[in-house]
Amino acid sequence: MLPTPDVAADYEKVYEPAEDSFLLLDCLEQEKDYINTHYSSSPLVVEIGTGSGIVTTFMHQSIVPNGLFITTDVNPHACLASKATSLKNGGTPYLDSIRSDLTTALRDNIVDILIFNPPYVPAEEVPGIPKSEDAYEWLDLALLGGSDGMVVTDRLLESLGTILSPNGVAYILFCARNKPQQVVENMEQKGWQCEHIMTRKAGWEVLSVYRFKLL
Amino acid sequence: MKFLTTNFVKCTSKACDSTTDNFPLQFNDCELIQEEQEFKPEFLLNILDRLDWSAVLKVAHDLGNDSLPQALPENVDPEDPDTLALLKDLHSLLLETNITQGEMKCRACEHVYYIKNSIPNFLLPPHLA
Repeated sequence: MLPTPDVAADYEKVYEPAEDSFLLLDCLEQEKDYINTHYSSSPLVVEIGTGSGIVTTFMHQSIVPNGLFITTDVNPHACLASKATSLKNGGTPYLDSIRSDLTTALRDNIVDILIFNPPYVPAEEVPGIPKSEDAYEWLDLALLGGSDGMVVTDRLLESLGTILSPNGVAYILFCARNKPQQVVENMEQKGWQCEHIMTRKAGWEVLSVYRFKLL
Repeated sequence: MKFLTTNFVKCTSKACDSTTDNFPLQFNDCELIQEEQEFKPEFLLNILDRLDWSAVLKVAHDLGNDSLPQALPENVDPEDPDTLALLKDLHSLLLETNITQGEMKCRACEHVYYIKNSIPNFLLPPHLA
């Protein structure tokens, strides 16, 4: 088993790695061969909603040590934490964190490997961005995903074709209430190849990760 | 924010996607620091293919560096001393140069984004999002 990174984050402001984070790590470990055979030694890896940065750090520590890494988050504390977590584990030649909504600040079609552990919990609405940097509401942003928990993920899936490079892939995590089967059917109709990577029961939630690639 | 990142980011306003002026952003009033990184020529070579060189030149100019060649050499051979010197310069520029504070302006809509604590903030105010 590959080592789990040490995290450098204040869990009052940044999502603490939990079952969903660890499922993603296990999926990426399982995908190591696929990633190393399909991409150059320096793919551009972008993690949306990075939180503590544990997933990106795992990627540079154990999966693609020569990758280029960008993390994004709307939470400024998460942006700083993801860089700190990377450094705490030895760092990597290139990692930057940008404060943005999804990947809207990135040029089109440059991302080789996209990773997203979204706010997937069904809720009445997606919370707005807190006005104060000290607000504890930052944690709600990491969790609450509006109707079916899919409001944020749907926005990403709609623009996936303009985000990924021609050969790019996206790893996205879902809970059962997101109806991932239905998402997969919709995406397949739009010409995407969807691969189920892993499913795991976590408490009363059932979490799964899928890989999306344009055919 | 590392210099290399300036080659990946654009204005987030959807309206600017129809122009070509949303990239690269224009950098003003920037504070820079150099953060040492191990020089790995092969890693640099991997990055070169991805670069939009004209954008590198524009941002370097914004930051007061006009010493780069107008084009990258066609056959990059790391054994060649001139090429190695260029790779070292690029290593220092792309990976070691950090913008800690400053402004990034979209050349199309003229919206100004700020960099603080080395983190660029691309969130738009609600009326522009």
